[in-house]
Amino acid sequence: MDPYIREHNIERNDIANAGTVASLTKRALKQRGLSREFIKQVTIGVYEAEINVVIHSYGGTANVAIDDDFVEITFQDKGPGIENIEQALQAGYSTASSYAIENGFGAGMGLPNIQAVSDEMDLQSSENGTYLRIKFNIKEDSYEH
Amino acid sequence: MNIDVLTTDSRFKAINDSAPDAVISGIFACDMLSHVMGHAAEGNVLVTVLSNINVLGVASLLDLPAIVYPHKIVPNETVIAKANELGIALFSTSLTTAETVILLHELGV
Ligand SMILES: Nc1ncnc2c1ncn2[C@@H]1O[C@H](COP(=O)(O)OP(=O)(O)OP(=O)(O)O)[C@@H](O)[C@H]1O
Ligand SMILES: [Mg+2]
Repeated sequence: MDPYIREHNIERNDIANAGTVASLTKRALKQRGLSREFIKQVTIGVYEAEINVVIHSYGGTANVAIDDDFVEITFQDKGPGIENIEQALQAGYSTASSYAIENGFGAGMGLPNIQAVSDEMDLQSSENGTYLRIKFNIKEDSYEH
Repeated sequence: MNIDVLTTDSRFKAINDSAPDAVISGIFACDMLSHVMGHAAEGNVLVTVLSNINVLGVASLLDLPAIVYPHKIVPNETVIAKANELGIALFSTSLTTAETVILLHELGV
């Protein structure tokens, strides 16, 4: 099948539209006949990463690539960055604002969730922005039987 | 199990009527969306006090067909309209979260 390539803008604090990237990616994966379980893993990863850009950053972009043997999504935002990545990856660690908490975020489980569902995760950050790449390998059993 | 079990029980007040044929199985109760995202399963009825629009996004992504708001919580019109668009059934109840979960369990959900 033809590769699926999309670029999305993610706006800071735009909670009403947060989840759009995950939703469109889910739809594209469905159309390619991937299994519910595989789609769920990708959806969780994309959603959590997307929300983090919305609630923790000044905004950024998501690039989604789906090919025959992988799904890769890269998120790049405009800062302020993550001071201590090791700490940020710990379950329960959160610096979520009261605005984010009121909206149901801030359990400190997003990055651990991403780590759990993805096959590869690359997280880099400076005050100029955070880069997150997550990859899911498509195998024979990733398709609906 | 059909969503009827909720619709026909007077302790649940249907907020909309957008998923009359929804099939439900299992209960997930939580107010932190990353926990819902990480642990809820397709078909689960979500019990949450969170009445904002993100909950619908999460429910839709995970294929959760129904949300029950305890403590008489009713979401605003924007949220109800979004639920109608996504085909997610919304209910409100005067019960607490724990009581809601127990009742759903007793009803066989
Ligand atoms: N894109 C980002 N820019 C800046 N900081 C970030 C970004 N993503 C994550 N962080 C930092 O890492 C912490 C942990 O992120 P994680 O997603 O695990 O939890 P959370 O977003 O705080 O809560 P949850 O995801 O459970 O709603 C955040 O609280 C924040 O301090
Ligand atoms: Mg997060």
